[in-house]
Amino acid sequence: MAATGQVKTPTATMGWAKSGRGSSRSTNMIRAGIFFGMAISWEALSRSGLLFRDVVPSLFSIWASIWKLVASPVFYANLQVTAWEIFASLAIGSGLGITVGIILGANRFLGAAYEPYVYYIAPTPRIIFFPVMIMWFGVGVASKIALGALSCFFTVALSTAGGMREVDKVLIRVGRSFRATPWQMATKIYLPAMRTPVLNGIRLGFGTATVTCLLAETKLSNQGLGYMIMQIYARFDMPSLYGLLIIVFIIAGVGNLILGKVTGTSA
Amino acid sequence: MTLATSAASDAASGVQPQLVIDRVTKQFGEGPGSVLAIDDMSFNVMPGEFVSVIGPSGCGKSTLFNIIGGLLDEYAGDVLIERERIAGPHKAVGMVFQEESTFPWRNVIDNVAFPLELLGVNKSERLDLAHHFIDLVGLKGFEKLMPSALSGGMRQRVSIARTLVSKPQILLMDEPFAALDEQTRLLLGDKITQIQQDLNQTTLLITHNLTEAVQLSDRIVVMTYRPGKVKRIVDIKLPRPRTSDVVSSDAFGHYVAEIWSDLREEATRGMVDSESAQRGGSRG
Repeated sequence: MAATGQVKTPTATMGWAKSGRGSSRSTNMIRAGIFFGMAISWEALSRSGLLFRDVVPSLFSIWASIWKLVASPVFYANLQVTAWEIFASLAIGSGLGITVGIILGANRFLGAAYEPYVYYIAPTPRIIFFPVMIMWFGVGVASKIALGALSCFFTVALSTAGGMREVDKVLIRVGRSFRATPWQMATKIYLPAMRTPVLNGIRLGFGTATVTCLLAETKLSNQGLGYMIMQIYARFDMPSLYGLLIIVFIIAGVGNLILGKVTGTSA
Repeated sequence: MTLATSAASDAASGVQPQLVIDRVTKQFGEGPGSVLAIDDMSFNVMPGEFVSVIGPSGCGKSTLFNIIGGLLDEYAGDVLIERERIAGPHKAVGMVFQEESTFPWRNVIDNVAFPLELLGVNKSERLDLAHHFIDLVGLKGFEKLMPSALSGGMRQRVSIARTLVSKPQILLMDEPFAALDEQTRLLLGDKITQIQQDLNQTTLLITHNLTEAVQLSDRIVVMTYRPGKVKRIVDIKLPRPRTSDVVSSDAFGHYVAEIWSDLREEATRGMVDSESAQRGGSRG
């Protein structure tokens, strides 16, 4: 009893994750090896002329195009649009997701009735709703935010509902025995006890919101990084395309890392 | 020896019991599948008295705990505190649970100050009181640590301090040492005895541990196995102040043997019952 109760604590989970990641010297060597191995094979493939130079451009030309992109104001304008879309959809989707998750988690009847829907709709590709969102919100930023919010809503709602049910029952009894008001139960027991699963849900929601917003931008839009990718593609400017993809990768990775640090959970 | 006097002589001297359990009955469910957990239990707890309720697993001890604590508010009969029937958690009762119940996201002092926070006590007063009770349970110097950094015994002491800080008239504990090893259990028993004597704290302990019950109590209520009834009430006339040294005395052994002869019968019934349930194929 005692042991299982403690394993669930956030600090314990964090400690496990840290040791599990195992950043020993040998794994770092292997990681570096993979990175350089890939880079060298890419460059070799590019120079061999086996494939079109345009499809596999030289790393040096990609590097040069990254610098060019980073120096251009157009890139920042588009980055700003996409960042705003992701932020807004995450805020809206998480807000709704936490609310619905709490309702489903707190009410056994509602949970049993509605959760299967949430559960089975959750993994479906939300991009198919994009035409609907365009009709409702237009081709601008709003339709991307709506779709992004829709996509992270499910992740956050499910993890919140799960987290709510996993709150240690004895802590609820402790709160009741001290005659906590419903508001005190919510703010001093449920919310702190649910912190880890909810923040985890938000972190996963960030991933799905990013994917959905970028995907929507590549489909139909006039601004944003996804739009920029399609523009570059239309020019068949392969070094810039790869450059931009690398930048987007790095941005998404850093965003995930920051969120992981903030929430105290790690991949 | 005023603490250990029996209920009868207290009634004669006009002292009112702090807690009255009067013909309490609790049945779970209805019809053929129902279980009668507690059947017509009655006993009193006098002010400053330490009473233990002991019985085999499955005798309805925890049900009684939840009824007195107000967490189970549908029951027959009366649980009375100052003539008021318990229905819902009562401010006079402070509960300590069997399970790990510290808040893992709060450090020791914030855990202990929790009930005061609910009451809206201002921060400096809250911390002063919390410090006092942390000191009382012997955890001075651990205030800033998180529960995950403490041992099971220390965490249970945090829970006890957290309950004591709300100054309950009746301290109600459900097997608070069940998850601990025997040495820790004896030493914590000392701590409890000392606190109970210092504060003159009325205490009701629910337990299945015989030596623990004899070590700590003024009176022991022995329960029968399913349905839980009062089988016998034993006065423990061991001297106070008491320490865990008492376990080596002849009188202690005598009490243990006496209560065990009662308890044995009930525990055997419980064991036969659970074995036949297993043989019945319900568990495969």
